[in-house]
Amino acid sequence: MIENLSFYFYLFKKISLLLGAGVYLVFALIVVKQTFTMSKNINDKFNYILIAFSYIHLAFSFLLILLTLILV
Amino acid sequence: MPRSKDLDTIAPDDLIVVDSVPEPKKPTPVKKTVVVKKTVPVIEEPVVASDNILAQKIYDIFGHTKSPFSAALVFPKVFSFAEQNDGEVVLLALRSHWFTNTSWILMAIFMFTVPSLVPLIPIPGLDGGLRILLSFTWYLITFAYSFEKFISWYFDVSIVTNRRVVDIDFNNLLDKKFSEAELSKIQDISSRVSGVSQTFLNYGTVLIQTAAEQNVIVFEKVPFPGKITKLLQDLRFSESEKDKDGGQE
Repeated sequence: MIENLSFYFYLFKKISLLLGAGVYLVFALIVVKQTFTMSKNINDKFNYILIAFSYIHLAFSFLLILLTLILV
Repeated sequence: MPRSKDLDTIAPDDLIVVDSVPEPKKPTPVKKTVVVKKTVPVIEEPVVASDNILAQKIYDIFGHTKSPFSAALVFPKVFSFAEQNDGEVVLLALRSHWFTNTSWILMAIFMFTVPSLVPLIPIPGLDGGLRILLSFTWYLITFAYSFEKFISWYFDVSIVTNRRVVDIDFNNLLDKKFSEAELSKIQDISSRVSGVSQTFLNYGTVLIQTAAEQNVIVFEKVPFPGKITKLLQDLRFSESEKDKDGGQE
């Protein structure tokens, strides 16, 4: 019974963390989209760098999902 | 000595002395070639000649931009906005003063140091893997926070062109506000500098009352509010002069 409970707790923890990482991934996608939209609206010297940063952020949010699967 | 053609136009009666007569060229076989007309894109100069006085005046007021991250970009070479019309020249692009960023920079530094402080606090059930994951997430959130703050500052721009004033606000990632007024519709310009930091660092808010639908345009926390006010007054004056000249003609 206790073993089952601890398993359910582990499952709950893992699913919650995965959901959180998924929500963060959606947020990262919104950041990319919004950086693109802002760059279209205002064209300045460093737009490409900002877009690159938003993509790096997106890549790290993918990594977050992977880490959640591996580490938890 | 052969004379130049320019002199011939001045004194056409003079004889042209030629040292050697060139041999007549042999007729070359005519090749049929397909002529493709290329349309050469016309590169518009950022400042046309008639605007030189205006440009000099603006440089006199603001000086030249030294840093690309400057909060006041004078005649920016690489700067345009989506609603910009043909032939419209950006005279001044303004962002909030750099000092307005200090609060979030300090917050980001604090957030960055938090994971190094957490090991000092014993948290039951926080094993190695979960600790790494939480630290990673925390750093990611810190980056996202800083990035969001930075792009909010970077894309929140007030623009003065040779035709109008424009204010583009991105309040957060999903909210954009665009307001504009033609220079001729500006009725009143006022600036406000309040507080210690604004007084010391010379930044503040410029309020532009207009006769347009958007009756107040606010340039928030911009550097040199006094200079901006002066520039806008000059531009408004020159616009009204132009209108008068147009009316008389």
